[in-house]
Formats: sequence, structure tokens, C-alpha cells
Amino acid sequence: MATDLIQMKGIAKSYGPVTALDGVDFAVRENEIVGLLGDNGAGKSTLIKILSGTVTATRGDIFVRGQKAQIRNTTDAIALGIETIHQDSALVTQLSIARNLFLGREPTIGPGFLNRMDKRKMNEVAGRLLKEIGIKKDIPATTPISYLSGGERQAVSIARALHFDSDLIILDEPTNNLGVEETQGVLRFMRRARDTGHSLIFIAHNIHHVFQVVDRIVVLRRGKVVAEDVDPKQTTIEAVEELITGMAITQAA
Amino acid sequence: MNSTARPGSSIVRQLTSTPEFLPFTLLTVLVVTFAALTPNFLSQGNLSNLLAFTPELGMIALGMTVLMTSGEFDLSVGSVFGFTPVLMWTLFNEGIMPLELAMVIGLIVAVGIGFVNGWFVTRLRIPSFLVTLGMMMTVRGVALYTTSGFPQRTWRAESWLMDLVVGDFYVGGFRLYASLFWFIGFALVLGYIMTQSKFGNWIQAAGGNPIAARARGVRVSVTKTWLFMLTSFLAAYAGITSSIRVSAANPNSGTGYELEVIAMVVIGGTALAGGRGTILGTVLGVLMLRMMRNGIVLIGVPGLAYNIFIGVTILTMMALQAYLARRHPMGGG
Ligand SMILES: Nc1ncnc2c1ncn2[C@@H]1O[C@H](COP(=O)(O)OP(=O)(O)OP(=O)(O)O)[C@@H](O)[C@H]1O
Ligand SMILES: [Mg+2]
Repeated sequence: MATDLIQMKGIAKSYGPVTALDGVDFAVRENEIVGLLGDNGAGKSTLIKILSGTVTATRGDIFVRGQKAQIRNTTDAIALGIETIHQDSALVTQLSIARNLFLGREPTIGPGFLNRMDKRKMNEVAGRLLKEIGIKKDIPATTPISYLSGGERQAVSIARALHFDSDLIILDEPTNNLGVEETQGVLRFMRRARDTGHSLIFIAHNIHHVFQVVDRIVVLRRGKVVAEDVDPKQTTIEAVEELITGMAITQAA
Repeated sequence: MNSTARPGSSIVRQLTSTPEFLPFTLLTVLVVTFAALTPNFLSQGNLSNLLAFTPELGMIALGMTVLMTSGEFDLSVGSVFGFTPVLMWTLFNEGIMPLELAMVIGLIVAVGIGFVNGWFVTRLRIPSFLVTLGMMMTVRGVALYTTSGFPQRTWRAESWLMDLVVGDFYVGGFRLYASLFWFIGFALVLGYIMTQSKFGNWIQAAGGNPIAARARGVRVSVTKTWLFMLTSFLAAYAGITSSIRVSAANPNSGTGYELEVIAMVVIGGTALAGGRGTILGTVLGVLMLRMMRNGIVLIGVPGLAYNIFIGVTILTMMALQAYLARRHPMGGG
């Protein structure tokens, strides 16, 4: 059996008296989209924040391609090839598309002490990426994010993850507040990312969206994994809803 | 400088969307009005006067612009402006060290004050309003206590350093001070950092959306701490400049400058909430408020009505600026 891309073992996290995660085992294989489901407060965001370095676990180990990894901050996670598109705002709305795409990893030009950004390169690459991810309108890369629609913003976040060729792209509710067309766009990017060799974690409350793209579903309930190998092709939405709530859903007569 | 246009937008829209548009327009109107009302306004003597003091407030405003872009501000700049020259001249007058060394020590202490501000704000997560308010009182208190409120004399010193910092010379009939060139130099360097450098992108990101910036691996706390140190440094340097020019280091000087400087920066188009800032706008804002103060006196507004005038102008300009900023968010290509 091939080693998994990511393995999290016995992960626990408490916020004071609140136990957000209670001994979670979670794995992501190469080239797959994992759907991470659970009700509000189940611990989904907490789990992926531990992976992306914005929260540190109280207990547990993380392995990347079988190697034990220390993820103390976002820089560590990025270095391990883990890109996260967070539920709450991943972009700086005042800055342009190009400046956001390269934020924290701006290419420079000229002598080092000048610290000068290579704006021409940034704008060129950004322009190309926008076309690749299928933004049809001709939006210049110097446009501030605040001018973009929700779907276009998600597209920019995803383009960033794709460009830096991360092995794992984590999307925390990327289809929230998106229209039908934009949602389909995001799902399309996800499939394309997987087909070009990336793995993805997809968190969403809309189970229909999840069923359309994921290869495998993991369900969290109150900080514990209650199902970890659900194949969307072999099950129904109702069955998954039961797993999420822990109750049998009685069909209305 | 940061104009960004969507396809199809007119030149007018592009122009009004630059944050420097408003201060530039108002400055022009101001100059024309005052020049029409009183011929004295554009006289050599008056312009030389204006250019003597303006760089000193201007340097503080430059630091404040960068700091405010990162989402913080510093109320202790006025106190640092007063305290640093007192420290420097005391060290010199007491015969403890030569003037050059005393200046270096003064600047280092000021940078240390900035570091403490930054540390409290970023590590202890106390809002900069509270931290720098406390620092403002502490630093002013030290300046007053150690001098018993008396100015330090500066006239005994003779040093090349004094000429370098604020030596005067004549160009035609104009009396200019070297501080003007330091101000221009600082403005160019900071303008470059803000618009061209990688660090500048981090400054804007730190102020615009610190969570997103951190998630990209931008070291937000380190960035902000550097900017607190820079702001303190510039306030101290401005204070030293001023003490040499007026031949006195008064422990009270700089009182109230913090608010005047913040007003200049905001009028210039930098957001009080952070995320966007413009050095050119600040230079315009500084000129505007200084000319305003100067012109009002020249046209003979009674002394007691003076503050009403300034206050209402500041409010009006800020309202206009806020209105324009809402209509045209800025991108920074
Ligand atoms: N910073 C925090 N401080 C205290 N408690 C927290 C914090 N963050 C999360 N929690 C708690 O941890 C639990 C799990 O939260 P988490 O955000 O992981 O849920 P989630 O599954 O992402 O929910 P949602 O679907 O609503 O986004 C919740 O009970 C929440 O209240
Ligand atoms: Mg969540």
C-alpha cells in the first residue's frame, strides 16, 4: 500500500473547557478529493487549521508522506506544500489580484537590498492564471480584490494554490455565498487540480456539492470521526445526513 | 500613483480614484485663494518661513503614514519629538559625551521606545491607542521631570553635524534649511518602500487583512514592530532638527503634534483603519495644513477663532476623503 500524503493521528484540541477535537485520525491520499463533513461546531475548521499551522494541536502527530512533520506556523505548512483557503477571508481586499497572488512570496528583481518586487512578472503571471482558471471577463491583474465578485475571489484563491504547486489544497467552505455558475466554476477547478496531481480537502455544508466532486467522505461529529471511508458512489445523501446528525432522519409522509 | 482602472472607465474616473486627487485639488485651491486674499502669502519671507518648520512635522507624518497603513498609529510621537533633543543636549551640556555621540544615543533610545510600543501592541495585543497614550505620558513626564521643565541650552555647540541636519543657506533670495532635503529624501525612500518593495506589500497586507496576511506567511507582528521603531526614529530626528534650528531643547515641545500629524496623514488619503496609504498624499496633506495655518493668520482671522477654522476644515476634508475612498477602493498595481 502506498503511503498517504497526509496522516493525522490522535489529534486532540481543547479551547479551555471546550473540546473541539477528541482523538481524531484523518488521512489524505495522493490524488484524491476528501470531503470533510459535520455539523456546525463539529471541529472541521479546527482540524484543518491544525494542518495549515494557524492552530496548534493539544495532542497528536502529523505525518507528511510518512515523515513526521512539525507544523508550528503557516510558514511551516506552506513549506510542506499545504495551501489553505480559509472560510473567513483569504485575501486582502485593498490589494490588487497580482499582489494577493504573490503575497508573502513576491518575486524580486535587482540587488537584494533594494527588496524590489518584480511587478511586471507578477502582473504577467497573474494575468495568465486568471485566464487559465476560466475568468472570462478581461480583468487586469492590477484590479483590487474589492472590485471582484465572491466567485472571482474564490477563483483567485484557488489560482494561488495551484500556481505554487502545493501538494495539498484545503478549501473551507469555498462555495458559501456563491451562485450556481460560480459554484460550478469552483467545483471544476477542484477536479482540474486533482487531475493535475494535487490532493484536496473540501469542507462544505451543501452535501450536493460535496457529492459532485469528492472521492471519499469523512464525517466528524462533536470532535470525533464517525465515518472515514464513505464512497459517494455507494451511498445516498440521506445516509450521510444521518451520519452527520447521528439520528435517523424520518421521511416525511 | 496607484490608479487602477477597470476597462471602459474614463480618465476623469481614473483621476478621481487616486487617493492624492483630493489633497492636490484642495492644496491648489488653497494657494490660489490665499494668494488672492493677501499678497504676503507668496512673499519670499513667508515661503521661507513655511519651509523652515514644515519638514519637521512632515518627517513625523511620513513615519505615521507607513505605520497607519499597517493598521496601527502612534500617539507618543509628540513626546518623543520633545524628549529626544532634551536627552541629547543634556548628555552634551553635562560634558558626558560629544554632540555626535549624544545624537546617536538619542536616536537609539527613541528607536527603543518604538520597539517597546511595538512589543506591547503585537505581543500583549493591547490596542495601539492605549499603548502609545501611556507611552506619550511616560516619555513627556521623563522629559519634564529630568529638566524640571526648563529648556536645555544648545547655543554653545559648534558641530558639522548641526549644519548637516538643518544648516541654512540662500538660493536667490530664499533662505532654505537642509532639513527640507532630508524631508524630501525620507519621502522618496518611504515612497519607494511603500509602492515598489516586497516589504511595502506586507505593510499594506498587515493593515488590510492581518489574518489573511499571516496565513500567507507574512510576519505581521515583526512588520508592525519595525514600523513603530521607524516612526519613533523619525519623530526623534525631527525633534533634534527643531532643537538645532530654534537653538533650544524645550521639554514641552511637540505637545499636540500627534493629532495634527494624524490629521495631515488622513487628509492626504491614508486610511485611519489601515490597508492603504500614500506618501505623496501625506506630503500634500502636510503642505495643506501648514499653509492653512499660515494663511489664516495672514488674512487676519482673530486668534481665538483660529481653532474653529482649523477644526472645521479638517472635518470637512476628512469627510470628503472618506466619501472618495468609499467610491474608489484602491488597488496598488
Ligand atoms: N478560538 C476558539 N476559542 C474557543 N472555542 C473555539 C475556538 N475556535 C473553535 N472553537 C470551538 O471549537 C468547536 C469546533 O469549532 P470549528 O470551528 O472547528 O467547527 P466547524 O466544524 O468548522 O463548524 P462550522 O461548520 O460552523 O464552521 C466549536 O465548539 C467552537 O465553538
Ligand atoms: Mg468551520
